[in-house]
Amino acid sequence: MIKLKNTTKYFRVGFFGIKKYAVYDLSLTIEEGKVTGFFGPNGAGKSTTIKMIVGLIHPSNGIIKINGYDSTDYRARLNLGYLPENPSFPRGLKGIEIINYYSKLLNKKINKNEIYDALKLAGIFYAKDIHAHKYSKGMTQRLALAISILGDPEILIFDEPLSGLDPIGRKEFKDIIFKLKERKKTIFFSSHVLADSKELCDKIAILTGGRLIKNEGIAAIEKEAEGYTEAKLNLSKNRERTQGTAKPEQDKDYLLIAEYSTPLEIYLYDLMRKNKKN
Amino acid sequence: MKKILYSTMYSFKEIKNSKIFYSFLIFALILISGSYFVSQTSFISQGRIMVDFSIFAITIFNIFIGIFIGSSIIYDDIEKKSIFLSITRPVKRTEYLIGRFLGLTVAIIFSTIIMMLIFYFVLLIMHKYIVPFKPFAGQSKPAVTHLKSIHGNSVKESKNAPNKSIIQKTKAKPFTVYSLPQPLIIQALFIIIESVFIAAVALLFSLITSKALASIFTVLVFFIGNVSSKMNDLVRPVKKIIGGKIVIVHQANHLLTNIVHIIYTVLPNFSIFNISSEAAYKIFISAGTVFYRIVYGLSYMVLLVIISSLIFARKDIS
Ligand SMILES: Nc1ncnc2c1ncn2[C@@H]1O[C@H](COP(=O)(O)OP(=O)(O)OP(=O)(O)O)[C@@H](O)[C@H]1O
Ligand SMILES: [Mg+2]
Repeated sequence: MIKLKNTTKYFRVGFFGIKKYAVYDLSLTIEEGKVTGFFGPNGAGKSTTIKMIVGLIHPSNGIIKINGYDSTDYRARLNLGYLPENPSFPRGLKGIEIINYYSKLLNKKINKNEIYDALKLAGIFYAKDIHAHKYSKGMTQRLALAISILGDPEILIFDEPLSGLDPIGRKEFKDIIFKLKERKKTIFFSSHVLADSKELCDKIAILTGGRLIKNEGIAAIEKEAEGYTEAKLNLSKNRERTQGTAKPEQDKDYLLIAEYSTPLEIYLYDLMRKNKKN
Repeated sequence: MKKILYSTMYSFKEIKNSKIFYSFLIFALILISGSYFVSQTSFISQGRIMVDFSIFAITIFNIFIGIFIGSSIIYDDIEKKSIFLSITRPVKRTEYLIGRFLGLTVAIIFSTIIMMLIFYFVLLIMHKYIVPFKPFAGQSKPAVTHLKSIHGNSVKESKNAPNKSIIQKTKAKPFTVYSLPQPLIIQALFIIIESVFIAAVALLFSLITSKALASIFTVLVFFIGNVSSKMNDLVRPVKKIIGGKIVIVHQANHLLTNIVHIIYTVLPNFSIFNISSEAAYKIFISAGTVFYRIVYGLSYMVLLVIISSLIFARKDIS
């Protein structure tokens, strides 16, 4: 279980070291055996939060505990796999050499078959003897995924796992997440593509401007969304009726509804848009 | 511990495959082989010119490796984000840093040994500067193993080298094995220590500034560290005994003297690792000197790595 308590992170920017808040007073519990989707627009602080969880960044305030260990303690990562956004690898080494090295950094003994299994599951086994700097973006992403699932960790943290993948790749990636979900792994992944949310998540957390504005189970949030969208739709229809002149194509709400197919998407999108200004 | 070892191996592999390492190594090898032609421009002491020239080449290229790879070994990892996957494993940051640094150390040792081997072969071909290796003389031992086992024995060797070589010549067997003189081997050891030392400086700088600045600062530290002892001698007051009293006849500006003194005490003194003149004249280096200088280099190095790892442990990586 991962627990964030009143976590704040600011960076000092510029010559005078002015504080720039990336995450503000974030409290969040990531439950065991569930898939939590972490959504928010660009620059919301998703990656910053994730980097704090995996110990790359130290929180400015507040604490983060993973299985009882502080996130800055290496033991917090004994059972954790992390897929960074835009992963990359050193030049001059083959995929298999790279994954071999990472397997050695784990506290378990990983045999060759386990490495091959991870590579196969991530769909990069065929390219294991190619130098990793010659990989395409999707291939690099897959190798990083293979590394993150090595040793069968209980907690998996994916930062935008679907970005940079083609539709087939996205489908395959989602299938992998489904497989991991079936095996009761704790999964926390970030994304700004709302369409991925419903199929994968048990829970949804939304971050905008560094603040958590929603953190609920999928069922509850869907219910909320339906009510909200219905009201919105009625409003739009009403306006059409009363101010007859306005064409539906120019109505903001109408456009939104037309663009996103499910109530959940409409609701979440609107929520983010409203909170973005502050 | 095991993780440090694996990191070391991985880093070494990575450095060995890197273009910058290759190019420095190849450059040095070209220069060492070229030292033959340089020596031909002179009629006298060709061997000494070769030694001077080659030692210079070996030193400078290992220093380059230390500076440029030292300042990028962690910096580039962060810049290219390849560090994200390694330090989010259950490893301590210190382990990672030490592993990377040791990988570079191994690379420097590796490059020095290769360069020295080539140098040795050049000398062997020219039949200059090498000393017959007594304990195994006459047995057809391969030169490589022989070079490794030299440390203990060459000491006695060079002391009475002159008369022995005469004896050797008189009853020269077909497979006389030759080794490098003791000061040359000590010089190689010093080059390794100096380069790793410089790499530690570069690593520390790269954790607090950018890579380019770190390289520049390290070059500066290296340069000042090489001349600081001479500078210190220069600003020392000149004293003479006139009429039974010690009289200062010349005193440099006080401020300047103090600045030079501070620099001299704070910055490491790199000139002690340069014994190329001793090497050129085959002057035996005493065990005490060797020991003292190694301890000097190592303790500085350990201190630098400790400071680096403290900074690195607190660093935000994003
Ligand atoms: N090292 C840093 N120094 C200064 N500011 C930073 C740093 N890292 C992140 N930020 C700032 O923190 C905010 C959050 O960034 P973060 O990368 O967490 O966003 P994100 O939600 O992951 O966005 P995206 O969807 O684009 O990946 C941004 O405004 C960014 O400029
Ligand atoms: Mg991000």
